[in-house]
Amino acid sequence: MNISYNWLKDYIDLDISAAQLAEKMTNAGLEIDEVVEIGAEVEGVVVGRVRECRALEGSDHLHICQVDVGGEQPLSIICGAPNVRAGLTVACATVGAKLPGGFIITSKKTFGVVSDGMLCSEKELGISDEHSGIWELPEELELGADALTAAGIRDQVLLVDLTPNRADCLGMLNFARETAALTGGQVREPQLDYAESDEQIGRLIEIRVEDTDLCPRYCARLVRGVKIGPSPLWMQNYLRAAGMRPINNVVDISNFVMLEMDQPLHTFDYQRIAERRIVVRQATEGETMQTLDGKERVFDGTELLICDGSGPVCVAGVMGGFATEVTAATTDILIEAACFKPASIRRTSRSLGIPSEASQRFEKGVAAADCDKAARRAAQLMVEYCGGTAVQGVCDVSAGEFIPRKASISAGRVNRLLGTAYTADEVKEVLQRLNFPIEQQGELLTVTVPAYRQDISIEEDLIEEVARLKGFDNIPQTLPAGASQGGRSQLQLLTARLIELCVAHGLYETVNYSFISPREADKLQLDAGHPWRDNLLIANPLSEDISVMRQSLLPGLLNTAARNWSRRNLDLRLFEVGSVFQPAAQQPEQNQPEEVRMLGIVLAGSAEGGWLGAAAEYDYFYLKGVVESIFAGMNICNLCFQRVTEPYLHPGRSAELSLDGISLGVIGELHPQAAAAYELEGRVLVAELALPAVFINAAANLPLQHDLPRYPASTRDIAVIGDSDIAAEAIEAAIYEAGGEILRSVKLFDVYQGLPIPPDQRSLAYALSFRHAERTLTDKEVDEAFNAIVAALRDRYGYKLR
Amino acid sequence: MKEQLEALEKRVRRAVEEADAVEKLAELKIGFLGKKGEITQLSRLMGSLSAEERPAMGQMVNQVKQQAEALIEEKMAYLQQQAQQLRLRAERIDITLPGRPVNTGARHIITSVQQQIEDIFIGLGYQVVEGPQVETDYYNFEAMNIPRDHPARDMQDSFYFSPQMLLRTHTSPVQARIMEKMQGKLPVKIISPGAVYRRDEDATHTPMFHQVEALLVDERVTFADLSGTLLAFARQMFGEERQIRMRPSYFPFTEPSAEVDISCFACGGEGCRLCKGSGWIEILGSGMVHPRVLEMSGYDPKHCSGFAFGMGIERIAMLKYGINDLRLLFDNDVRFLSSFWGGQK
Repeated sequence: MNISYNWLKDYIDLDISAAQLAEKMTNAGLEIDEVVEIGAEVEGVVVGRVRECRALEGSDHLHICQVDVGGEQPLSIICGAPNVRAGLTVACATVGAKLPGGFIITSKKTFGVVSDGMLCSEKELGISDEHSGIWELPEELELGADALTAAGIRDQVLLVDLTPNRADCLGMLNFARETAALTGGQVREPQLDYAESDEQIGRLIEIRVEDTDLCPRYCARLVRGVKIGPSPLWMQNYLRAAGMRPINNVVDISNFVMLEMDQPLHTFDYQRIAERRIVVRQATEGETMQTLDGKERVFDGTELLICDGSGPVCVAGVMGGFATEVTAATTDILIEAACFKPASIRRTSRSLGIPSEASQRFEKGVAAADCDKAARRAAQLMVEYCGGTAVQGVCDVSAGEFIPRKASISAGRVNRLLGTAYTADEVKEVLQRLNFPIEQQGELLTVTVPAYRQDISIEEDLIEEVARLKGFDNIPQTLPAGASQGGRSQLQLLTARLIELCVAHGLYETVNYSFISPREADKLQLDAGHPWRDNLLIANPLSEDISVMRQSLLPGLLNTAARNWSRRNLDLRLFEVGSVFQPAAQQPEQNQPEEVRMLGIVLAGSAEGGWLGAAAEYDYFYLKGVVESIFAGMNICNLCFQRVTEPYLHPGRSAELSLDGISLGVIGELHPQAAAAYELEGRVLVAELALPAVFINAAANLPLQHDLPRYPASTRDIAVIGDSDIAAEAIEAAIYEAGGEILRSVKLFDVYQGLPIPPDQRSLAYALSFRHAERTLTDKEVDEAFNAIVAALRDRYGYKLR
Repeated sequence: MKEQLEALEKRVRRAVEEADAVEKLAELKIGFLGKKGEITQLSRLMGSLSAEERPAMGQMVNQVKQQAEALIEEKMAYLQQQAQQLRLRAERIDITLPGRPVNTGARHIITSVQQQIEDIFIGLGYQVVEGPQVETDYYNFEAMNIPRDHPARDMQDSFYFSPQMLLRTHTSPVQARIMEKMQGKLPVKIISPGAVYRRDEDATHTPMFHQVEALLVDERVTFADLSGTLLAFARQMFGEERQIRMRPSYFPFTEPSAEVDISCFACGGEGCRLCKGSGWIEILGSGMVHPRVLEMSGYDPKHCSGFAFGMGIERIAMLKYGINDLRLLFDNDVRFLSSFWGGQK
């Protein structure tokens, strides 16, 4: 909403500047984004009159004019506007004048003739977009005076960013009331009275409202014998300042009253209303109408229509129809001031794609109780400025009486909620500034809420009025009473720990969108029935790229990796802790999905090399080491790695990770085809683990301390050769089993394949450490255990000592 | 024998003096003092001496032996020290060459700031709770006093799965969820961080972003408590000198409602580019919990009151760390991610 400061002063006397008012308004909750000064950039543009106007020799459209600007000599000015003519009062930019954009007028020679200035269009002066000709000023202005001042254009405009609850301030009058509450002034109500003819409106028009839910009130007044012409200059200026274009007196009055009273009006050419009757009803499906913009509209049956005897003539609250439009020939005006259901207007305005000043106001709700006031105001202005005669009375159809709301407040309750110490008188004084009628019963103040303040219905609303008008900065700052124990849940603490561990292991945390493209499934080479293809779909996505809820963190991480890779960031160690969304089995779009927090890791490339040598490319074992170490940090060991088949993973280099039979997720190398789909080069390592499963074990594993060993360990190395297909994990398990209690650690230190070992076989070398808790072991005991290990490996797996 | 001993002593002294390497000295030691060393052999001759001569000669042999040992030891220490010094000199390196690289990681600035915010409120006695991101229309809107057709739904254009289910547009639904769970018990004192979603994408909006919600409901919670709490937060987050300013605003779920500004930490309130000359920076929305919201979640507004506020984590992070482009936060360029590790180069 744009508030013209000149216009505002019609309703209230102000002795503060626009900027000062803006600050007060902002502090009271009506945020003023900016105060714009109209005409600030214009200097030296004066009122002139074209005395003579001749075609310029050698040009097909230029004229040479003699312009009287009140000086001794008229100025010779060349003008190319189509509407330039002798007798016209114009805005004349003299030599040295400044126009918007820092443009300075100089003397110029055209076709050998000197031009001493410029006749300006509205656009050139920055007051509107009108540029079809020069600006035609009213005759009565004093020649030589500053054109913008004389025409009343110079103004300050407050750009208000209204919160939805204060839509009432979309009306100048209500804004003035708010101003009065802040400055202590008195509001001058607009003139509503006018003389009426003897004709009774009830005999001239019949109005029927079929749906009083969609249209709680419909008022109509009739003004006859109007003469269509321009509206008064002041009204045009106000409309322009508010961002609307002046059209003619009737249309301008309609817009003026809307801006003044926050009540959109519609004007019909009464003579074109078929059968002299108005019916307000819902559209039928497939019904059509031509709107004012010339478009043929087809209705779906939900719209509210204003119809005459022949059919629809107006889309209620949204746009008028062609059939009853006010034209230059119109003489009798039917003024409509109605109240429509906000949701219905919002829906229609959206579906027809017609947002307007009127629909915007209806959507936020207008005060049904005040409809007729606006109709009267419009009739009064039409009588005064269009030469019309108002017919007696009003056609007023409404759902019932409009009983004002009441709300109560007491100083005690104000202070209890705000933590202030306002007295009863202070509270009362604030409500008086708002001009709210008050009844007092002891402590209790009961307020009759004016119809235009639709935001106020309960005590807390009134407390807010007191709080904001006394000033939020008058409220003390205290901390809440009472001690309480804050903290994180066990799950949150574990998640935080996990993230710390990832960072400590050289990983960078990323945050990726929860929604992904359905095409990620293809990039991951998922087969048709893969559960990750069955995602929760957003019904109204911004784009396909972000249209389905992820079931895996990997697509987001891989896209992040790919984006980095394309920028030649070739050392990628990324992770994310975030939720994935597993659709409900039944009616997934209506039942909340399971949100599971996951840890995802992606590695690609290699650490940056240096003068100490190049670093190795990240591989499966690097990632496995990182994962194992992170788990160790969560006090989880004994992880089990089992070969897994997932379409997006390398079949020979991927594993399912489990613990005590519970699957935690997968770890492995990305399938080369998937890597290629993400345009990643080299080996890409991924892991994805479900945190709830991980945390089941972490929570219970408090690392209780034991005494450090007091007796020395005996070490033996063992190298065995056997079938490479037997998992190292199985060999290690067999060693532990055979070694018995005294075998404390088994460390693999060499894996060798190649000559002289036969193909399909490999050599594994382990360092074994034996120790007894209560005494030093004898060589014999260690030998026995060693031999048992050798025997077990031979018997179970055919592995022989090397 | 006495002469022999004296001569030997002189030889030992000279030989030790001349020895210029640890190895040579070790040889000398064996040559004189080893099992077959000259001094050892001389002492074996003691048996051939008469009983009268023996004590004096014995003493003399011992003396020579001890002297030799002392000399060698002293020289050995000297030579070892010299050898070590030589080695140390040879091992000199350019200590300004770069260190062996270690793989470092870093938290994302969004989750890092989220943790900072959580920690401040944990210190003030708040419990951290979380709620679902895919939310029902009831919790996201209805329970927050935003009925269907409410104009405030305009403010929050949402991603829907069906008319009943959507991606939450704010963390506020957690207010209703936690109050229902608490079943009327007081106090309710929680903060709730997490991702939220709105259908908006341009230079200053991403369709997903993060908020932290705070809710305190107790017997006598006041607007003054809200203001004091926000002041405490602002000072811990942005510095002890910060002031806050509250401006009336509108949210359907609070009444009265306030936008909260902090005094600009770049200029201290003088006015600069960061605060657009105003001296104040908007950081969050807040208010007293609307009585309808309390009622709907089973709390009687006659017997308790509460405040709530919500802030955008991205906004706080951008302000605090001078990040100019919101999109950087979701771009995850490792050069950006790593800039929060190790300070400015």
